[in-house]
Amino acid sequence: MKKHKSGSVWMILPLYIFTIIFVAGPLLYMVALSFAQPKAGHGVEWAFTLANYKKILDPVYMKTFTGSFQLAVTSTIIICLIGYPFGYFMAKLSDQWKKRAMIFLMLPFWVNSLIRLYGWMIILQTKGLLNHVLKSLGLIEKPLRILYSYPAIVIGMTYVLLPFMILSVYSSAEKLDWSLVEAARDLGASPFKAFWTVSFKLTLPGLLSGVILTFIPSMGLFFIADILGGNKIVLVGSLIQEQMTKGNNWPFAAALAVVLMILTTLMIMLYRKVTNAKELEGVG
Amino acid sequence: MKKKNSKLSGFYLGLIFVLMYLPIAVVIVFSFNESKLPVRFTGFSLKWYQELIHDSAMIEALGNSLFLGVVSCLVSAVIGTLGAVGLSRIHWKTKGILEYISILPLMIPEIILGMVLMAFFYMMNLPFGMLTLLIGHTVFCVPYILMEVKARLAGMDPSLEEAARDLGAGPFRAFWDIILPLIMPAVLSGSLLAFAMSMDDVVISIFINGPRLATLPIKVYTQIKTGVTPEVNALCTIMLIFTLLILFIYTMVGKLTKKKTKQ
Amino acid sequence: MKKLVVCALCAAMVIPAMSVSVSADSKELVLYTWENMFPQEVLDGFEEETGIKVVYSNFDTDENMLEKLSMAKGGDYDVVVADDYIIETAIQEGLVEKLDTSKLSGWDNINPLYQGQFYDPNDEYTAPYGAGIPLIVYDPDLVDIDIKGYNDLWDESLEDSIALTANYRVINGITNLALGQDFNDQDTDDIAKTGEKLLELAPNVRLIQDDNTQDSLLNGEASVAFLYTSQVTAALQENPDLKVVYPEEGLGFGVMGMFIPSQAPDKDEAYQFMDYILQPENAAKCFDYIGYYCTNKAADSLLENQDLVVPDSVTEGSAVENISAEAEEAYNKNWTEFKAACD
Repeated sequence: MKKHKSGSVWMILPLYIFTIIFVAGPLLYMVALSFAQPKAGHGVEWAFTLANYKKILDPVYMKTFTGSFQLAVTSTIIICLIGYPFGYFMAKLSDQWKKRAMIFLMLPFWVNSLIRLYGWMIILQTKGLLNHVLKSLGLIEKPLRILYSYPAIVIGMTYVLLPFMILSVYSSAEKLDWSLVEAARDLGASPFKAFWTVSFKLTLPGLLSGVILTFIPSMGLFFIADILGGNKIVLVGSLIQEQMTKGNNWPFAAALAVVLMILTTLMIMLYRKVTNAKELEGVG
Repeated sequence: MKKKNSKLSGFYLGLIFVLMYLPIAVVIVFSFNESKLPVRFTGFSLKWYQELIHDSAMIEALGNSLFLGVVSCLVSAVIGTLGAVGLSRIHWKTKGILEYISILPLMIPEIILGMVLMAFFYMMNLPFGMLTLLIGHTVFCVPYILMEVKARLAGMDPSLEEAARDLGAGPFRAFWDIILPLIMPAVLSGSLLAFAMSMDDVVISIFINGPRLATLPIKVYTQIKTGVTPEVNALCTIMLIFTLLILFIYTMVGKLTKKKTKQ
Repeated sequence: MKKLVVCALCAAMVIPAMSVSVSADSKELVLYTWENMFPQEVLDGFEEETGIKVVYSNFDTDENMLEKLSMAKGGDYDVVVADDYIIETAIQEGLVEKLDTSKLSGWDNINPLYQGQFYDPNDEYTAPYGAGIPLIVYDPDLVDIDIKGYNDLWDESLEDSIALTANYRVINGITNLALGQDFNDQDTDDIAKTGEKLLELAPNVRLIQDDNTQDSLLNGEASVAFLYTSQVTAALQENPDLKVVYPEEGLGFGVMGMFIPSQAPDKDEAYQFMDYILQPENAAKCFDYIGYYCTNKAADSLLENQDLVVPDSVTEGSAVENISAEAEEAYNKNWTEFKAACD
């Protein structure tokens, strides 16, 4: 028995070393950095300070947090509303169609997401496809100005993150024992009640993991606000990027990142508490 | 009643799929447009494809991205697969923590990973370039493979390996001949997903790329910000055709081997 | 079958690796600037003449450039083109090489008007590469009012229709001018006023973008734009009916400079490149391409677009200058607040 183990240690060693050096190391460095001071010009002064965290409390920066949070919540709700039925219906398809739907779902992943967003830019612009269609249908007189607005960002977020929601709902709905639903129906439950008490409850972990998988990235996808939002909305992601690459203030960027990370960790812990699951569904 | 329901759900799935493919279709259509502005279709032209072929910077970026994707996926596949198998066998106290940290890159916003790696590489005095990109991409590729393989292992019969060992196979042989073939589908699908993520990543790459190097997504990002030419559309079209081709070959090969085994 | 897969994977690894290693052999030069600052024709011509391949690496903002250059401690890049005020900082931080003008045969071609500027008073570090005055451009068909200056941008009729460039110092600066303050005002009370004034502009802003901002005028996203000179040139080329406004409150002004970083890996190649660009024929091609005012006296007569030859009064406008860290922070905050209010 002992012999078995010594082999396993060798197997796990690369993962151990890699993870500690390149995942744990950088993250700990970030925490340390968040308590340091920016040096005038360039670089970091290693003197302990809480100033970076205090700075976050400034209304300007608090607003970016609440703004990002709001955007993430809005996008996540829309993604749930679109993605949940999709994943659920997909799980009800025949095996052959399931395979096909899966291929259709994964195919866009192979087209660069920026190019896909650029497609939305073409559609949404003032002289673009959408306005053209709406106008020729006589629904509008003046072109809608959707590009470079809040809705455009929400559309972009939804578009990029929807597949993750679908996949995670699908993977939990697929495992659903449909005979349970049948049984509920046989016992006289209405279709809605049967869905609510059986299917929905059993697919809830998938939905929740989808929420995590869409909510967390949506806090950091700065390029969507850049491209579709006309660079007008400052998200935590853009703020971190600006402080790192332009503002020359790494410690402040690190503090922002630490707070963001605490928020996301809290969400994951909450998720685990609610679902009792150890892992996110649909990632694997 | 049931029929009607399935029709309705079919319609819904179709509708969302249409919306999903709409922007891609638009991009493809405008790759054949004569005018530079993607506002009106002024005439069919292949000139953007010609320009793309002569755009050495774009081609180089594509090469960089492919290289980066393949290498970081191979490295991650080795680390992730061995790690997942190893994790299933040991029972150390630190195991849970290690597992959590190793999948952490999937659970924190990309931007944090990008900035943290940039600061860290700078501190370690690593020159920014292909090496930093490789490490960075491996960081977020490992978890995909690790989780896929772990899920596969969880559904496997542990006695299989025991049996092999009892028959005198060394730990290496047991892994190579018994375990690996069984988990291969998971390794492949995890690697594919990781490869797709690597080919698509802007947020992390933008922080850790070097002066001489641009990956394809970075190139596309700067183009979109600084004025796109339909070259980008052409590139997208070619990549999509390429993907479809691979998919087609893959399914054909799958069908052929299935037939063979049936015979 | 398994072997086949291994072979395929190896091939996939080796082929891109080969293409990478091949390019590493020949002589190279890393040029670091914004996208689209040099015509491909000139870069190709340089490679043909000298055998040096130009690796075009780009940044999106001056601040980004400074950050990367400081991280590289003045290395990695061979020639940089950036804005005046950021060059001043770079010089102060010791990131810029003192030029040996004897290696630059075209040095005397530079228009003296653009020499001795605040960021490099003795012309020790830089050669100018284009100058400009940011201007207001609008489409008279879509705008009801007659725009004369910055203050007109605040007009209610322009709701959600202005495109702005994204340099926070410039936008703060013109707001200062609109208020009758100095372009580089360092008084924090004044800056707070500037911030308030900027917030009032927010409802009129349609997008903020530093590159190709003129496109928004051409594709109908915006009807008024505040543009850099190169963008003004590009906009007028596409649509000559657009109106250009020299704001009555005062003009901004900027010069871009070319310099060699202090630890540039290929300095000889960098000198060769700089000299190549200083030759009148090449300079003329460059300025016709980028659309900034020509800073090469000898190239003036060779320009196709004679609008780029400007009268001497150009340098009277106010340039972005370096200010106290406190004032800078305040401007930065103004900017973040302004952007957040724009939605």
